[in-house]
Amino acid sequence: HQIRLKTTPQRDPTFHTRLPRCNTASPAPHGNNAAPHTPLPFSPQGGGRVPPFPSQPPALTGFNRPRPLVSHFPPPPPPPAGRSAASPLRDAVWCQRGAGRALPWRRWAPGKRRRREEKKKKSGCCSPCACEGAPAPVPVPLRVPRPPPQPPLRPSPRRYEDLHAFELQAPTRLIEWARGNRVCVAGYGQSGGNEILQLLPPPTLQVKETQGLCPERDFKVECGGFSNRPVYSLKYVPDTSLLVTSGPPDSSLQVWQVSAEDSDVIKPVGAIPTVNGTGQPWAKIATVSTRAPWVLHGSRLNSVQITEVESRKNVYMAASSNSEELSGLAFLDGNTLLLCCAKGQLCLADARQPQSPLEAVSVPSAPCGERWCMGVGRGPQGSDSSSQPVACLSSGGHLTLTDLRKTSESLASAKCRVPSPSSGAEFLCVSWAPALEGCLAISGFDGTVHVYDTQSWDSSGREAEPIFVHRGHAFGGSDSSGGPPLVTVHTWHPQKPRTLLSAASDGSLHVWDWVQSCGKCG
Amino acid sequence: MPEIKVTPLGAGQDVGRSCILVSIAGKNVMLDCGMHMGYNDDRRFPDFSYITQNGRLTDFLDCVIISHFHLDHCGALPYFSEMVGYDGPIYMTHPTKAICPILLEDYRKITVDKKGETNFFTSQMIKDCMKKVVAVHLHQTVQVDEELEIKAYYAGHVLGAAMFQIKVGCESVVYTGDYNMTPDRHLGAAWIDKCRPDLLISESTYATTIRDSKRCRERDFLKKVHETVERGGKVLIPVFALGRAQELCILLETFWERMNLKAPIYFSTGLTEKANHYYKLFITWTNQKIRKTFVQRNMFEFKHIKAFDRAFADNPGPMVVFATPGMLHAGQSLQIFRKWAGNEKNMVIMPGYCVQGTVGHKILSGQRKLEMEGRQILEVKMQVEYMSFSAHADAKGIMQLIRQAEPRNVLLVHGEAKKMEFLKQKIEQEFHVSCYMPANGETTTIFTNPSIPVDISLGLLKRETAIGLLPDGKKPKLMHGTLIMKDNSFRLVSPEQALKELGLAEHQLRFTCRVHIQDPRKEHETVLRVYNHLKGVLKDYSVQHLPDGSITVESILIQATAHSEDQGTKVLLVSWTYQDEELGSYLTSLLKKGLPQSTS
Repeated sequence: HQIRLKTTPQRDPTFHTRLPRCNTASPAPHGNNAAPHTPLPFSPQGGGRVPPFPSQPPALTGFNRPRPLVSHFPPPPPPPAGRSAASPLRDAVWCQRGAGRALPWRRWAPGKRRRREEKKKKSGCCSPCACEGAPAPVPVPLRVPRPPPQPPLRPSPRRYEDLHAFELQAPTRLIEWARGNRVCVAGYGQSGGNEILQLLPPPTLQVKETQGLCPERDFKVECGGFSNRPVYSLKYVPDTSLLVTSGPPDSSLQVWQVSAEDSDVIKPVGAIPTVNGTGQPWAKIATVSTRAPWVLHGSRLNSVQITEVESRKNVYMAASSNSEELSGLAFLDGNTLLLCCAKGQLCLADARQPQSPLEAVSVPSAPCGERWCMGVGRGPQGSDSSSQPVACLSSGGHLTLTDLRKTSESLASAKCRVPSPSSGAEFLCVSWAPALEGCLAISGFDGTVHVYDTQSWDSSGREAEPIFVHRGHAFGGSDSSGGPPLVTVHTWHPQKPRTLLSAASDGSLHVWDWVQSCGKCG
Repeated sequence: MPEIKVTPLGAGQDVGRSCILVSIAGKNVMLDCGMHMGYNDDRRFPDFSYITQNGRLTDFLDCVIISHFHLDHCGALPYFSEMVGYDGPIYMTHPTKAICPILLEDYRKITVDKKGETNFFTSQMIKDCMKKVVAVHLHQTVQVDEELEIKAYYAGHVLGAAMFQIKVGCESVVYTGDYNMTPDRHLGAAWIDKCRPDLLISESTYATTIRDSKRCRERDFLKKVHETVERGGKVLIPVFALGRAQELCILLETFWERMNLKAPIYFSTGLTEKANHYYKLFITWTNQKIRKTFVQRNMFEFKHIKAFDRAFADNPGPMVVFATPGMLHAGQSLQIFRKWAGNEKNMVIMPGYCVQGTVGHKILSGQRKLEMEGRQILEVKMQVEYMSFSAHADAKGIMQLIRQAEPRNVLLVHGEAKKMEFLKQKIEQEFHVSCYMPANGETTTIFTNPSIPVDISLGLLKRETAIGLLPDGKKPKLMHGTLIMKDNSFRLVSPEQALKELGLAEHQLRFTCRVHIQDPRKEHETVLRVYNHLKGVLKDYSVQHLPDGSITVESILIQATAHSEDQGTKVLLVSWTYQDEELGSYLTSLLKKGLPQSTS
């Protein structure tokens, strides 16, 4: 007690009058210097930059919130048919981030606010919740015009089993899995100084079953490197410590050495130049190591080639006079190549027959003028890889599934309800779920990732209903050009069935594990 | 060249027992005086014999600065000041000064009373040590002596955490201590002005981490607590008295209020209660939101959270208990843990780091059967969760702080060197500053380039700017003047004024040069030819033909005489002062080339 008495600052009568002055010096710089991509509207510190709306409480809104409150409300109206996943009300967890900007928030907020007022009246509590940005004792001053009355909120089910939201320092347009469940991301800025980062995911993502213990929820940067050109594509070369990247301004490839034990720097070790590569689109790449470390690369149909990574020797050169631009290529097995053109044709080739002519095996059924991209799934264990259908996605939202053994007609097709991509189909991405049969995810149209179950699809091409839509990115900050964030890429977790990683143009990287709504997903 | 020397005695490429020696412009400062929680031997405290082998520490150190009250930053302080012997000033912020002795006393009790260690500091030593402490306010410049001054900035990490700027003359070092760049529920974010120190010493505990958003972490935490409470289980949250406990209290309090939950929340009496008291006292150190609203309602007076009584642990039904200490190594949290461990409905959430050897560390590493005192085996059936809520800056935060402060050099402590090469390169690339990571005992020397202020007389400034073009702020400008160093001040004045002030007569330095020219004509004709030639070449200069037969170009004098032996050779005498050296040498070289053949 003696110590306490001596050390309390009340000895200093000016303490309370002096300190606030000291602190007033800090808020303004806080506001100015706070990184623009962490808006944190709920931040208690950000006095000067609190958004014009009362910020929403963080974290609490997303799950379970209304359960104990259900009794306060009239029974929920039946969900509007076919809009369940798209309902803005369900996205409560995201709403604090985009405070004031995102439309769903505006629609959603007043109801919530009203309800809180009601609750306050009931409980007689006039104090604010700890995380609210608004001065609460005053009956909430509505700075937005009150929208027409809406039906009361219905209790939203939990949407995510787990959710991680990270902020990368620069946006990435690739998420590549590496050995030991590592992931790789890379910047694609035009100004140079792009970082290639190999990340160790949090323990929660490394195990198959969610164990109880997950000390951290953070990515660890295991190693990194600097690229002076934008990185648009990156592949690990299996069985080596090398990785290959490509990106504008030409179609050459860069080879990198992932660091040895004593350093955490990814060092450049050389380049694979391409003939007449200047002015060509950036090269799409795929790697395989069945016989030797090979990289398949090309930006147009007639420039597809396979190069041995270490010797830089050309082992295969496609013979084609067609200079169609490629949107993707893949190894189906050690020898079979699958190429996808931006206009939608699929080509098969055999690496054992160099100079073999390329033949288009399928043509898109949808209107031309759209850009296409493909997603190749890994077949069930032991089966022929060509038994897994190839999914092709167009910028118009058409999805066709093609069985490569019977390419004359498409297996199934559907139209996805997506807006036309604002980025010129640059980020178009479709991928099969490795551990969830028949499910695939698409992104690249806006700030969302849609998950579809294709098992019930037929060849009619009618509009399909997503089983889940991840909207988290849309509520983030704006990207470098000031527009709303676009999802640049997504990828499935190789083992965990309903876990995806997605990145957006604002630098956000989300890992989400959605909750299977009963009876809807196969 | 002036230099700054930095030697970490602890925390160099390592977490724990932070202690860094800085010697700047002849002043020696010790930053933090922490201990390592993981050791019980010599490695617990920094090796102070590095400072001096047998002399008095006070003679070698000008001051000690403590950044915040965590024991790995202040734990060795009583040992250092009372047992090793240091009588100089110790600086810390007011909240740190208030809370630090409580934590030290608590730790002392555990080591001496529970573990029975001797040769440890006593209560009296803690008290004596605290008498040497000088408390500082935020942004208050404290003059340690005539030359050394320190200034505290808000660091956010825990209550009272501060970054310190140490300044001697125009050289300065900023030490961040632990800091947090994202504001949380009860503390603000670290902030520093663009002070451009010569060296920024930054912690880098989370430098290689990309952190999950606070929102998602909290969501996970609340989800786990809520699930347990809903199924009727009890939740134990072992916490350190100060720091994250308050953050979690506010989080749960808000959640309980929103969800209208009825399960009781308790926090263990003693430390946490005292801690909350301090938060109430030092409300100005919390964030703006809490400061604003505390008149109506103090955020730290919780509605749902009540003091814990030992008997409550046996109460039926769900409850949440915050108990100290955080590593389950002793005290109330361990007692409650032993009571609840057998029931799989219950849950323990470890919100922080645990050192090896503690119960907390054992259960986190997956051990399910624990040997307690007296060979008792405790089977842990309850769920064990680990959530990291520590408020450290991650890589992005470190970059942000560097951008704010704009240092000329960066030094990282608290990190593994092997894992940080990338970060080092990144800092060097992005900010074009050198980055260092010394190990313990290793000295880093940083050469500074101190700027020296010089007063310039207005007359000289006006004269010099009148000569040249309009001054451009971005480009260096050459000025001519006389530098007078007198009475520890520097002044730049015009030469005339300097002569006048110092009572000196001006000396002139003249160069004279002979140039031989073949010209059979008369001298005055030669002069005329030279005159015409120069007038033709030097159009921008005033070339005059004086009646006495000499030529002047500006202030340069040219005379012609006939050669004593050879009448066909004329000797031109060119004479100029030192100030006109440039024009003079140009003129001689011009004349040496001879005159043009065509005569006018």
